[in-house]
Amino acid sequence: MMVDTAQVGSQKLAGQNRIRLVSMIFSAFFLMIAVQLGKLTLMHKVDAVGDVVLREQSMPRPDIVDRNGQVMATDIEVSSLFVDPRKISDVDEAVELLTATLPELNAKSLKEKLLKPGKAFVWLKRQTNAEERDAVYNLGIPGVAYVNERKRVYPMGRLAAHTVGYVDVDTKGIAGIEKYLDDQGALYTASLSEPESHTTYPAQLSMDMRVQHAVTDEVSKAVIKFKAKSGGGIILDTETGEIVALASLPDYNPNAEDKHLTSDQQNKLTSGVYELGSVIKAVTFAMAFDYGVMTMTSKYDASHPLVIGNARISDFHAQRRVLTVPEVFTNSSNIGTAKMALQVGLEGHHEFLQRVGFMDRLVTEVPESAKPLLPRHWSKLSSATAAFGHGFAVQPLQGLSVISDLINGGMSIPPTFLKRTKEDAAALAHRIVKPETSEKMRYLFRLNVTDGTASKADVIGYRVGGKTGTAEKVIGGRYSKTKVLATFIGAFPMEKPRYAIFVMLDEPQAIPGTYGFQTAGWNAVPTAAAIIERVAPMLGITPQFTPEDLAKLAKQAKTGTTEKKHG
Amino acid sequence: MIKVINAFLVMTVLVAAFFMYSLEHSTRGLERQIAKLKTGINDERETIKLLDAEWSSLTRPDRLQKMAEEQLKLQPVKATQIISVAEIASKIPDTPVIKLDDNTADPIGVILEKMQ
Repeated sequence: MMVDTAQVGSQKLAGQNRIRLVSMIFSAFFLMIAVQLGKLTLMHKVDAVGDVVLREQSMPRPDIVDRNGQVMATDIEVSSLFVDPRKISDVDEAVELLTATLPELNAKSLKEKLLKPGKAFVWLKRQTNAEERDAVYNLGIPGVAYVNERKRVYPMGRLAAHTVGYVDVDTKGIAGIEKYLDDQGALYTASLSEPESHTTYPAQLSMDMRVQHAVTDEVSKAVIKFKAKSGGGIILDTETGEIVALASLPDYNPNAEDKHLTSDQQNKLTSGVYELGSVIKAVTFAMAFDYGVMTMTSKYDASHPLVIGNARISDFHAQRRVLTVPEVFTNSSNIGTAKMALQVGLEGHHEFLQRVGFMDRLVTEVPESAKPLLPRHWSKLSSATAAFGHGFAVQPLQGLSVISDLINGGMSIPPTFLKRTKEDAAALAHRIVKPETSEKMRYLFRLNVTDGTASKADVIGYRVGGKTGTAEKVIGGRYSKTKVLATFIGAFPMEKPRYAIFVMLDEPQAIPGTYGFQTAGWNAVPTAAAIIERVAPMLGITPQFTPEDLAKLAKQAKTGTTEKKHG
Repeated sequence: MIKVINAFLVMTVLVAAFFMYSLEHSTRGLERQIAKLKTGINDERETIKLLDAEWSSLTRPDRLQKMAEEQLKLQPVKATQIISVAEIASKIPDTPVIKLDDNTADPIGVILEKMQ
């Protein structure tokens, strides 16, 4: 009996031990859960990553705005309607309903598409507005559905269309800055995005829409007035390399569905190359000054045509005498300029053109850029003709950029379509000519406006300087006498140029007001003057008046009053 | 004793369960609210974009020029019309053009009438 109780006691003890073991395991288990729970809820910070991953949207395409923040390109939400033909029970009825709501659909072709066996997806209409989408959706045809898409719109229309470019129906950029945002500029585009808030900053251009409009307006007036084939105008900030305005006419509407651009509508200022003619002489002058082979007091004999081999170089405004350096510039003497190039020599000339960048393609953000066309064989003759702009063709933008570099103090600053600060520009710049050379070029440019071929560019108060060019166009391998390209490159205010301007008119005609002339001095120059007069106040150039200006103003006021009397 | 503890534990479980449930319920409510607000923000963003585009289109320089030419008698600014801040002092007339302490008439209105 005693043994029994002892046995029972020990059995009871063993049972209690087992219970204790089990409860210990359980409490350890629960403790573990509690600790883990505490760790997860109290210690662990939930990060926002999960939230972003859930929404599988692509980053929105950045807007494009001008330097003042005015919207030039933006995305708006539109819907695209599609249909799954397999789900439609009565095709005839569906076609009838759809064509009644969307009149632009072709009933026959739609029916064909819907009846094609095995097809599971047919676009009905892409990029439609909310009302139209609801109207179609409410027809209640099975299989009709829509997806929300983004559509690119250009509120500015034609203005600056060449720079902004455009996108295809899948909002992929195929021209201009739009293309840049997708291709070479992808890094730049990525830097604009803000993944946390799922937004993007706009891409800010260097252009000013007010200035752009003034340039477009004046150039288009000139194209009509002088019956030119096309025209163009650029305004470039000489200190930062920013392109403030760039207008190439004829232009196009980027909002149009089918653009079908003709070759005339291309951006001629970057994708075309032209022999700019006499404006290139400025480069030769800068070269001769910079190599030290010429001073302001040097003289060049232009009394006889220059003969190289069996080619003769003669002057358009022939003076038939010995010319001083400023006279060679203001009379635009081919002979004098060619002699300068020969003085420098073949290698020096080649090296200088290389240094200013005429040997390489100018690359900006806008992808449409053309390579310069240079003489194939660098000979004495090609050097002499290249000195006055014959036989070598460049993008007009490149021509302006180089001239701007020569007069801004001699620093080469790559032009850009994106907004840039002075500090950034200074970091990119490198010296191409001495400051003294640049100083002399400024003097010559200003002189050419006060006393030379560009006298009509003298906008009172803004100290304009510039060089004209009238290049005979090459038609069928020969220089045409009747078809010319009139150009003007200038800058203002000349004592410290802030903005450079380029105006080009392709095949301007002589009109009664120009006394039978079709040279740049009579068409491109007055156009540039009209542009400067309009944009200088917008660009913040303070007018200053020289005594000659005041005398001119007084004279104008006098004639103005007499005219009134007569009127 | 054990019964008391058990009863207490059962009560605690019930209270905790209720508390947890109401917490989850309110969380779901908040989540719905967040989603709603996010959609609202997105819609507002879209509207802002649309209005921005419209504003930009309405303030196109060529449109403004056309309207100004039709409605206003304005001319481009001439260089001679711009003077520096320093010069302003010399252009102020000796007697003020507008007599503000003259309460009887509308002084600016009088000037405008004179201009027309």
